[in-house]
Amino acid sequence: MGFLMDGIGAEPYDRSYSDRELVRRILARFRPERRRILLVCGSILAGAVAGTLLPIMVSRAIDGVGVELAGGTPVAVRWVLGTAAAIIGLNTLSWLFNAHRRASGSRAIGGVVERLRNDAFAALMGHDLSFYDANPTGKVVSRVASDSQAFSEVVSLTMELVSQAVLVVLVFTYLFTVDALLTGVTLLLVPLIVGVALGFRHVARRTVTQSRRALGDLTAHVHETMSGIAVAKSFRKEQLIYDRFTGVNAATYRLNWRAGLVFSGIFPLLFAIAGVASSVLAYLGGVRVAESGLSIGEWYLFLQGVGLLWFPLTSIASFWSQFQLGLAAGERVFALLDADPTVRQTGSEPVASLSGRIELCDVDFAYQEGEPVFERFSLAIAAGETVALVGHTGSGKSSITRLIARFYEFQAGSILVDGRDIRGLDLASLRSHLGFVTQVPFLFNGTVADNIRYGRPDAGEDEVERAAGRIGGGDWVNALHDGLATAVSERGRSLSMGQRQLVVLARVLLKDPSVIILDEATASVDPLTEALIQEGLDEVLRDRTAVVVAHRLSTVRHADRIVVLRAGRIIEEGDHESLSAAGGHYAELYDTYFRHQSLDYIERRPVPA
Amino acid sequence: MASEWRPDGTEGQGPSRPYDTRSAARWIVSHLRRYPLLTTGAAVLHSSAWWAYGLAPIMVGRVAAQVIEPAAGAPWAGLLAACLWLLVVLAGDACLSMAANACTLTLAHRIERDARDELYRNLLGKSQTYHDRQRIGDLVARATDDSRMLSMMIHPGILFISDMVMGFITPIVYILLLDAELMLVPVLYAVSFAITLRAFVRRLGPVLFEQRRAQGEMTAALEEAISGIEVVKVSVREAFERGRFGRTVGAFKELFVRSNRIEGFYVPMLIYGALAGAALLHGVLALQRGVIGLAGLIAFVGLMHALRIPTFISAFSFSMLQGGIAGAKRILGVLRQTSDIDWNAGGVSAPIAGGISFHGVDFGYEGAGAVLAGVDLDIAAGETVAVVGQTGSGKSSLTRLVNRTYDPTHGSVRVDGVDLRAWNLESLRSQIASVEQDVFLFSRSIADNIAFAHPGASRADIEAAAQAAAADEFITSFVDGYDTVIGERGVTLSGGQRQRLALARAFLKDPRILILDDSTSAIDSATEDEIQRALTRIQRGRTTLIVTHRLSQIRWADRILVLDGGRLVANGTHGELLAGSPHYRRIFSRYDLDLPPLVERAAPASPNGIPESR
Repeated sequence: MGFLMDGIGAEPYDRSYSDRELVRRILARFRPERRRILLVCGSILAGAVAGTLLPIMVSRAIDGVGVELAGGTPVAVRWVLGTAAAIIGLNTLSWLFNAHRRASGSRAIGGVVERLRNDAFAALMGHDLSFYDANPTGKVVSRVASDSQAFSEVVSLTMELVSQAVLVVLVFTYLFTVDALLTGVTLLLVPLIVGVALGFRHVARRTVTQSRRALGDLTAHVHETMSGIAVAKSFRKEQLIYDRFTGVNAATYRLNWRAGLVFSGIFPLLFAIAGVASSVLAYLGGVRVAESGLSIGEWYLFLQGVGLLWFPLTSIASFWSQFQLGLAAGERVFALLDADPTVRQTGSEPVASLSGRIELCDVDFAYQEGEPVFERFSLAIAAGETVALVGHTGSGKSSITRLIARFYEFQAGSILVDGRDIRGLDLASLRSHLGFVTQVPFLFNGTVADNIRYGRPDAGEDEVERAAGRIGGGDWVNALHDGLATAVSERGRSLSMGQRQLVVLARVLLKDPSVIILDEATASVDPLTEALIQEGLDEVLRDRTAVVVAHRLSTVRHADRIVVLRAGRIIEEGDHESLSAAGGHYAELYDTYFRHQSLDYIERRPVPA
Repeated sequence: MASEWRPDGTEGQGPSRPYDTRSAARWIVSHLRRYPLLTTGAAVLHSSAWWAYGLAPIMVGRVAAQVIEPAAGAPWAGLLAACLWLLVVLAGDACLSMAANACTLTLAHRIERDARDELYRNLLGKSQTYHDRQRIGDLVARATDDSRMLSMMIHPGILFISDMVMGFITPIVYILLLDAELMLVPVLYAVSFAITLRAFVRRLGPVLFEQRRAQGEMTAALEEAISGIEVVKVSVREAFERGRFGRTVGAFKELFVRSNRIEGFYVPMLIYGALAGAALLHGVLALQRGVIGLAGLIAFVGLMHALRIPTFISAFSFSMLQGGIAGAKRILGVLRQTSDIDWNAGGVSAPIAGGISFHGVDFGYEGAGAVLAGVDLDIAAGETVAVVGQTGSGKSSLTRLVNRTYDPTHGSVRVDGVDLRAWNLESLRSQIASVEQDVFLFSRSIADNIAFAHPGASRADIEAAAQAAAADEFITSFVDGYDTVIGERGVTLSGGQRQRLALARAFLKDPRILILDDSTSAIDSATEDEIQRALTRIQRGRTTLIVTHRLSQIRWADRILVLDGGRLVANGTHGELLAGSPHYRRIFSRYDLDLPPLVERAAPASPNGIPESR
């Protein structure tokens, strides 16, 4: 519902679709609900008519008894009863229309929003990872969760505006036929109220921004000091912190108070304006009664007219900015639906089984135009081979794994899997043979068993147990307080980083893919868990094609082949011994990243310089 | 504000008297009582505004009387006077409401400020034990959202409630003044309103609650699928995620429709509509019987119309009141928690040599199972002891018993042979330093952060500490050097750098016992060298307990404790444990096999045959 206070705290927005285009698409979204929408519009109109008729009925009733008092024909009891019944009837009808509008309107809007959310989610699931690089999670979530709801407000807002406008027009048309002059005077109120309302919104926007900022400062202060309370307490610095708090608290109070004053002043101000208008109309109307035969009931109707106008006018003042907000929300959702997939398949041949041979031939790849990661890059991996990729950040290690998983589109060259062009394969079918382990282990809400089963939902309880047991003899499961049934909450935060890694390894073991793509975690974990993880890795990498972005010395040393990358090029290849002996880039990388993981290092007592 | 914070303050300290924390209502009232003038002012002004508002229809009736029968002689004078009276009443209403609003508003924001202040003082006075158990997000919410709700409850919440009450009382009293019999319909309405509103609130409340929950579930499902998109894709579970999300969307929609339906079929409004007709009928009949005049009828119709306002407002005023009470309860929940701190000012206060011993120590967090069971150990002064174990084995808890963050549930922990409970806590803690995993830095200069414990420390002392912690080099590489201001939560520094600042802090404190809970990931070998050197340096000459991921620190510790499921399963030197503890062997077995012949994956020597040492 459009209202004076709504949409004041809006953030600035920019748009790229035209209004016309947006309105067209929004209307198209409502097409499946058009019968319901039409009915709701009917209810709105009928409600507006009933709302107009009510004060007219009251004024007629007053006129009826007024005539009788003035010595005219006494009103029949039947007429009085009839009028009362009509008022009850109109009130009941108007209530029913309103109830229907709410119930049916919410069903229509709810339906549109539901379909939009589902469509947006389906589009999301289809987008490749370049989309997610460009759009951070928080933004995408708010598009699907809030914008889809906000966009539907455009329609309910418009319906509301129409009903208010219809009511105003009906009332004034009737008033005009009664007394054109008084109607003209009443209409003077329109620019006055709308003007004041707009002016208020202007001032309110400023004070709201300030008070929001103050609240932000306060939150930041409390957050920081409560996070650091241990330090403050162990050093007995409470007074210092408290002094800073009182300053921030006082500033927040001042700004909130000022904003509140603006907000709480507007209604009495508008009331005052309406009060002046009512008094003037009461006087002018009284003169008209004496001079031009306006009836007392009609005089009363004009006074009521001020009250009828007041609410619609304040709503209309806020319509435009609210409408723009709704359009902007709609645009954000449509942009999400419209985003073009960059990963394009030319065919969808099923992949029955995979031996695991992978070849990248003359591949050109860039995340962003003009910033190439690979140029004519080639790498062949034999079936069953374990290849460790090493190199500095940005050398292209992870890009190789992402291209093989087909998360990104490459611009030139070809990628062959078992000798077949990756673009010609059915992606779902291909991926069902891939195991992909991300650097930060990702767990879903559910139990540990659910998470292990994620890649193979049909796996039985015993299969899950067996997969878990193949890592470090299953010792890690015993350390979980409910074993495999342990609940994973907040995306795994209830488990330690090391435990999360173990769950993910078990997940891969259960899926039993022919090709494993693994970005080793860099988070350090306690030595016992680390030992378990390394045992788990041995198990996962055994007898499969494996491409590993290596961060562990033990992985590098166990690899069949180490591929040394620098700036998107392979500069050295070989095993640990030969590469170390060669004293090239690998030796340098070893000294930078792996040296402190070696037994040599551990066995040398650290001596303070 | 020059008020002083008192460390023993577990009670809120108002300027005149402490606030009453026995119940939410009493607490709010005790806050209101600090501002008697504003409170009375708000009450008087607000009810006056309503009396003025209720007077308006009467004045309209008076004007109508002038219109119907203009005064003889000067016909317009009477009309003008009546209209001016109407203007006075309406303008008076507006002015009075404005003043009343200003009063409640000021009151609301002052109470928000005071409550926040009370809460904050209280939090500062709580023990570290208390803070260790809190989620920071919760405390922040108490101090911001909940105190804000409190203010919303007073303005506009209580204002709305008062509007509702006065919105019934004033029209009904004025109707009584018109004629007592006309009260029939409005009183009937007031009664049926109260009954139907109650039913309405009871029906709507649970639905709105469910709706918020459903919304939360929907957002959670969405966030999860997006954050895990790589896993979803490579597991080919897109359809599953679509179905899961679709169900949450559907559930939310049904509740959205239901709450709208309930709000749409708002029965009090229906009753009002029906009774408005009945009132008109009654009024006309009364007029015909000569009980009231036409002016009276118009006033009556106007007063009945005024009853619309409370009917409207009631739908949402209660939720604000409920919100405020709930907020107050949550704040009170924090205030009432008695601080379990026991500074034991009369306890032992002496220089610590550094011996630590555990005697039959059991420990568990409230409401959770045992974390440590039957731990016995002896650490000599100056010894460096590493603690090893899987997550959840009780390593961190063991270190927290040493600086008395917690007390054991059974048994005793002693420093220099004296039970910790007998120590003066201030004396004890001033000689123990902990360097935690999650190093906290304030958003101030680096020098301030290092010297947090010693504001008087000279720049030379600070720099010496930084050098000892191998932090000097990176600090001086910043443009502002030691005056570089650290971003919130130290975000502009890497984990390794933050850790070295924490070490510098500890060097400056120069404690007798040092607790290091140390884990830094993904650092290069050169940084590792530096940190290792700083760690070794700081351990020298103090008793040190380390929980670390660094194998070299473990390997070279004087002694190593192995914890498994809260029990101390091994305790000895590196050599002893390699021979005796299967857990410990496991860590190193890989390295031993790694030695020269690396490709062969011979079956690891079964560790199970080796007995655990104690």
